[in-house]
Amino acid sequence: MGPLDDRLKRREFLARGARWGGGLVLSTAAADLLAACGSTTAAPASDQQLLSGSGPIPLDILKSRTTSVDKGVLNATGIPPEWADYQDILDGMQKNFSVTVDYKAQAEFSSAQEIQAIKSTISGNGFVPDIGDVGPALGVTAVQENLVVAYKNANWKDVPDLMKESSGKYCGEYYGVQAFVVNTKVVTNVPADWADLQKPEYRHKIGIDGDPRQATDAQMAVWSAALANGGSVDNIQPGIDFFNHLKSSGNYTPARSDKAHMQTGEVGIGIFWDYLGLGFRDSFAGNPDIKVVIPPSGSLAGYYVAIVSKYAKHPWAARLWNEYIMSDEGQLFYLKGYAHPARYLAMASAGKIPADLAAKLPSSDQYKNVKFVTPDQQTKAKDALAANWTG
Amino acid sequence: MPLAWLGVLPFLIFAFVFLGLPTVLVVIGAFTDANAHPTLGNFSILTQHNVLNAYQTSIAISGVSAVGGAVVGFLLAYAALHEASYRWIRPILVTFSGVASNFAGVPLAYAFISTLGFTGTLTLLLNNVFHISLEQMGFSLYTFWGLALIYLYFQIPLMVLLMVPTIQGLRREWREASESLGASTAQFWLHVGLPILTPPVLAASLLLFGNAFGAYATAYALAQGGINLVSILIGYFVAGNISFEPNAADAMASGMIVIMTFCILVFSVLQRRTSRWIK
Repeated sequence: MGPLDDRLKRREFLARGARWGGGLVLSTAAADLLAACGSTTAAPASDQQLLSGSGPIPLDILKSRTTSVDKGVLNATGIPPEWADYQDILDGMQKNFSVTVDYKAQAEFSSAQEIQAIKSTISGNGFVPDIGDVGPALGVTAVQENLVVAYKNANWKDVPDLMKESSGKYCGEYYGVQAFVVNTKVVTNVPADWADLQKPEYRHKIGIDGDPRQATDAQMAVWSAALANGGSVDNIQPGIDFFNHLKSSGNYTPARSDKAHMQTGEVGIGIFWDYLGLGFRDSFAGNPDIKVVIPPSGSLAGYYVAIVSKYAKHPWAARLWNEYIMSDEGQLFYLKGYAHPARYLAMASAGKIPADLAAKLPSSDQYKNVKFVTPDQQTKAKDALAANWTG
Repeated sequence: MPLAWLGVLPFLIFAFVFLGLPTVLVVIGAFTDANAHPTLGNFSILTQHNVLNAYQTSIAISGVSAVGGAVVGFLLAYAALHEASYRWIRPILVTFSGVASNFAGVPLAYAFISTLGFTGTLTLLLNNVFHISLEQMGFSLYTFWGLALIYLYFQIPLMVLLMVPTIQGLRREWREASESLGASTAQFWLHVGLPILTPPVLAASLLLFGNAFGAYATAYALAQGGINLVSILIGYFVAGNISFEPNAADAMASGMIVIMTFCILVFSVLQRRTSRWIK
């Protein structure tokens, strides 16, 4: 399972994106997409060649084939409308390309179920998914089991290497990062980095989101601390030592950094996903005031990847979807739901983040040192925690 | 009545589906590997330091809360039923106990955190008004003793409920008979009262032990893995989004089943002794 792969969190992710709904009017639409990647048709290729290649396919071709061949239909899994602002993306598919996305219950599939759904299409049963949205571990599984095709969208180069499969078989869509979420009513000096957490003034204030042996969110918090204390994506131990030190100094509180404890201040400094913290901040609306800080010396990301099924019934629509979610417009919808889009840093440096949206987020330079881990590294970290984390 | 067994059938089905069958499946799981081949390998987890420590902690927290609950609960029940006590106390105590003995899980943990956590109402009241700092006195709710205190919230009322009928069964005639034969109060308790009450009190204490032993939600909601209990470790292996090792979980659960079976056997032996006297 991927770091963010937990349906509860999925719901939290965008209880709020929906609420902000419509606040942002994005001018980027199909026209811009066409301008970005529609002019590369030099030698005309056959449809078969286009589909067996690894993209990108010019948008005007995708659009016309989606209408004429795929009849404007796309079968999707793992895209709950309330999660990461998929509602706006679904609406955008309809508005820009007249594509009706068929998802219903499939939207709620867990990553493992999505992979299972693709597998069962081989035997010709049930719903045939065209695309999926899965955690990286299941992305790797899908590649190993040969269930997906390679497709590099027009914005492929903007996606950090660690978030994508080099031949194009999966592509990072969006991510969350570990943050300090601070209740400023009980913590007056907001800590800036990991070293600050050792200060005596934070006695009994610092909590994490679950037991790191069980919850990915908490695992990533400990691991992020490792990065700041001589550890690495291959070595979580310094993070375990750091938290042992917080425990012996009394700064750590075993209380979970959930919404209730963050609001009362029972946990004054919670270390967990930025998107949850930003959601709490909006939902508390100043009572108390919440600050979200990305610690510069160590913050790990959890991310999701897009896959295109090898057995897709609507191969054109599947690739069109991939282009749309990775376009400026699609990526900004993710950001509106507080999920940082895969192209975030590239878009920020190109000045493509609208000011009103940027104002609601930590500054983009706080995201520059964020690190990504592979499913293998995560397995190693899990074993180290199971052996060495002491309650 | 040859058809009388029909009445008990729903209970038997219920017990089979929710107790018998899961127990069998747990034991089978403990002795098989992920590919359903028989193995003893799962039990190697019982030799790991943190697992042994979890059994110790689980037994200790259950023991402490059972003894504490039994002593306080018995005295409360006895006091409430005593002739010299106010009559109106009894129904209030019994009703409250009925409610409180069922208050457990996440709501109970959150109630205590809101009251006695670092920012709890009582903690702040003591600190701001009376200048008594629980923290400086060394108290933290998120510790073994904090959890024991929380468990007592349902253990004491449960003991009260269990003891009311027992103490009511202690017949006045026995007291009068011993007094008319010249026994003092101390002699009555030593030779009559305690020998009769000891088995039911011990039996009830064992029930309290089992009640705490299997508890999971309260401890997890309080301190996540901060208090190392067997039930929480089992949870990591079956319900986490990091590990999934159901056979190891089954091995640990089998260890708990052995301990609980022992408790129930002792309980039923004691129960049989009691029923000779109190009916």
